[in-house]
Amino acid sequence: MVNVTLRVNGETRSASVPPETTLLRLLRDQFNLTGSKLGCDVGDCGACTVIVDGQPVNSCLMLVGQVEGREVLTIEGLANADHLYPLQKLFEHFGSLQCGFCGPGVIMSAKALLDENPDPSTEEIRDALGGNLCRCTGYTKMIEAIKGASCILRGEEAPLVKSA
Amino acid sequence: MAEKPKVIEKPDVLERPDILKPQAPAPLVAFPIEVVVPEGRQQTPAVGQRASRADGRLHGLGQTKYIDDMYFPNMLFAKIKRAGIASARIKNIDTKEAEAMPGVVAVITGRDIPCNSFGPSLKDQPVLADTRVFHAGDGVAAVAAVSEQIATEALEKIKVDYEVLTPVLDPLESLKLETPGVHAPSANIYGHKVIKKGDVEKAFAESDHVFEGTFRTQMVEHVPLEPYACIAQWDANGRVTIYSTLGRITLGRADVARTLGIPMSRIRIVATVVGGNFGGKNEIRAEPAMALLSKKTGRPVKCVFTRSEEFTSSTTRHPLIMDYKTGVTKQGKILGRKIRLVLDGGAYCSWSETTLGKACILSAGPYNIENLYAEAFVVYTNKTMTGAMRGFGAPQVCFAYESHMDDIAKALGIDPLEIRLLNAFDEGSLSPTSQKLHSVVVKESLLRAAKRFGWNGIGDGVGNGNGA
Amino acid sequence: MKSFEFFAAKDSSDAVTLLAQHAANAKVKIIAGGTDLLADLKFAAHGPDVVVDISHVDDLKNITLTEQGLNIGALVTHTQIMRSPLIRQFFPALVDAAHTIGAVQTRNLGTLGGNLVTAVPSMDSGPTLMALEAIVTIAGNGGRRQVPLNEFFVGPRKTILKPDELLAEIIIPKQNLGKPTHFLKFGLRKGQALALVNVAASFWVDWEKNVFLAPRIGLGAVAPKVIRAPQAEAYLEGRTISAEAMAEAGRVAVGDAKPISDFRASAEYRRHLVAVLTKRALESAWTLAQTRRLEGWNGQRNA
Repeated sequence: MVNVTLRVNGETRSASVPPETTLLRLLRDQFNLTGSKLGCDVGDCGACTVIVDGQPVNSCLMLVGQVEGREVLTIEGLANADHLYPLQKLFEHFGSLQCGFCGPGVIMSAKALLDENPDPSTEEIRDALGGNLCRCTGYTKMIEAIKGASCILRGEEAPLVKSA
Repeated sequence: MAEKPKVIEKPDVLERPDILKPQAPAPLVAFPIEVVVPEGRQQTPAVGQRASRADGRLHGLGQTKYIDDMYFPNMLFAKIKRAGIASARIKNIDTKEAEAMPGVVAVITGRDIPCNSFGPSLKDQPVLADTRVFHAGDGVAAVAAVSEQIATEALEKIKVDYEVLTPVLDPLESLKLETPGVHAPSANIYGHKVIKKGDVEKAFAESDHVFEGTFRTQMVEHVPLEPYACIAQWDANGRVTIYSTLGRITLGRADVARTLGIPMSRIRIVATVVGGNFGGKNEIRAEPAMALLSKKTGRPVKCVFTRSEEFTSSTTRHPLIMDYKTGVTKQGKILGRKIRLVLDGGAYCSWSETTLGKACILSAGPYNIENLYAEAFVVYTNKTMTGAMRGFGAPQVCFAYESHMDDIAKALGIDPLEIRLLNAFDEGSLSPTSQKLHSVVVKESLLRAAKRFGWNGIGDGVGNGNGA
Repeated sequence: MKSFEFFAAKDSSDAVTLLAQHAANAKVKIIAGGTDLLADLKFAAHGPDVVVDISHVDDLKNITLTEQGLNIGALVTHTQIMRSPLIRQFFPALVDAAHTIGAVQTRNLGTLGGNLVTAVPSMDSGPTLMALEAIVTIAGNGGRRQVPLNEFFVGPRKTILKPDELLAEIIIPKQNLGKPTHFLKFGLRKGQALALVNVAASFWVDWEKNVFLAPRIGLGAVAPKVIRAPQAEAYLEGRTISAEAMAEAGRVAVGDAKPISDFRASAEYRRHLVAVLTKRALESAWTLAQTRRLEGWNGQRNA
């Protein structure tokens, strides 16, 4: 067994798990944070994307022993009881998610991008989402939402769609 | 050995202290969560309104509960042993060693399934292979254990004694009557359709040119981001509740009832939000096996496919072999067309009959063809079963007839747009099956599209591999 | 994934000690970024008994300019390569190569050393480093040794690393600092794609005679390991720089490649790609050489 202590969404969490446990399994099975999804388990689909020490990573490709002392942010750490995170709000507004299974991973990739680059171009957004597969093929609306969220995070008005 | 460093560059993360800053759980800018609840009996206008998805917010918050996000107290985890052989006779399955493993609670094989066959049309698919393996993705045994890890390790302890048989892999071979039946004594052709209109041979005789072409498409997996998953819970009253990624729960309920040999009234299927279906989650997979494992253990049992199982043991899109023969005038007007489609059905029927019909009906394309003979076959092979996938055969035949049109246009030196305008359906045209068509805008759509991407005829360069 | 014992190394000497302790009587695997290793172990019938984690080993994460050249620690991630001012300045080709690997998530985890140690013939870091005649430092219990990268690879997924050794750093020799280099990859799509063929070309220019000097071509995915293209290099050496020469070098490079057919591409298509990509990589390296000359770079071999 490996004893691991790390910070998840601002809280210190500990667990004692077999060494072959991945960060994704730790989050889902031990901490009940099921927002991060298991899609392929080999780092191809990006549904398990979380932010570790500021960088988006595939949580299915990290062993628990490797996340000792690290700072992990998951989809559950973006919003609180009263507020949505701008990306979540705009993904909802633009209807960017269809089946939704890729959503948490996509939003975490987008969050990491906007943290670094407050005004990304379409090309930069596409590059940032290169590791997140969406089989409902809803990338266009995701890009619209990410651009909208970047406006809001910069304190500008987002180009929302008006109801008829 | 390296010399003493001159310039030291710290890793970039260290140059960017902001990256290492703990992430604040509360965002800087946020939206208050507003919940719009319409008043009772209030008529909400739909047409002309912007609709937002009811599930969009929960998706974005990561709060949507898919099957794998559910957990029940005392739940077991199941794994299925896959044959890995395309065609074989099962002589013996020894599960003793697996059953003896600490943490393994129950093992079942195909012999434990009360009625081991199901399917949306033909009931030709076993829940777990019992006497015969028909394709490599067939399950031969299922293990329920206290953890997924133990269940996976137990699979290796199950010893299966196979008599390996020669598989039928080529659909054209399978089409021949002398080829051994995949499901002997039944023949390999399990679906056939013909559409006949006018006299195609006469039309060929009257044509200035007759063109032939063969087109093939490959097998395609749906790859829903959410792999297949289900949880079965058999209760003490003899009722079973199944939580499943199934898209067609009523149909699935009938199949579960058939395979378990219990009335439908004792089966409850709960479908939650599906993480992508695309036609690949339209029939049951492991539900009856999980129900039996739950019955045997008295505990809830969960099964989630790996990504590779999703490829080998769920349905896929039919590969098609499509022979086209078309007689045309010098100007490119189609006088007659003869088509033969061979659908590779894989090991089981699944939704092949629907796919066969739709592919055949659409195989002539959106063109006025007075003389038509279209014939379609679907055959068994010892490969992953093919079933429903977006379009039910329509994309495959579209690839064939449009490629064929391009080939004809090129050979005749006609603009590929012109040849389509010359032959395309008009308002009131009859489909190959004599359905009168309304709201037909093929030509308008073609012209508008050509204008939008700047098509100026042959030699313009736009069509030369640059894409639209 | 099969169970194993897990040890985290604090620094590189600790890592070497751990390897020495366990490698004698157990199957040991080193985990750095884990992007290749874990994807393999999840489906491996026989996993390692011991996994030594070096992801926290900070002394292998530096990018340093030394007397020997540019030293890149084996644990530098692909993202760090893309962001490193030193690498961006001297070797934009390495930045391009890093950018084509996997996607953001895998580039944040995956390391340069890991990419080399995996020794997959289609690795994207390989051709550029081969074209720059990189040297690798291997750390073992008996000390450190250096070998040219060319000799590091043995075959598909095989290197000269012994079970108790680890790759410590990658050095681009001083004489190649700033050598105009270009990397090109052809995959079936942009993100998350393995190369059908990848090529890197580098050369110095004798501006007086307008000829190629020390041309080096690295080819990936066309042989059991990443290779150099000796015939194409010999063809270019001392030859007058021209579009025709670059196109011919591409054709000659086809003779250096020994591609196979697999489900991604046929050998014939790969040979075609070698010719085209080699030519284009040479052309782009030539453009870079000219730009650098205009920008006031020495433009000569500076050693």
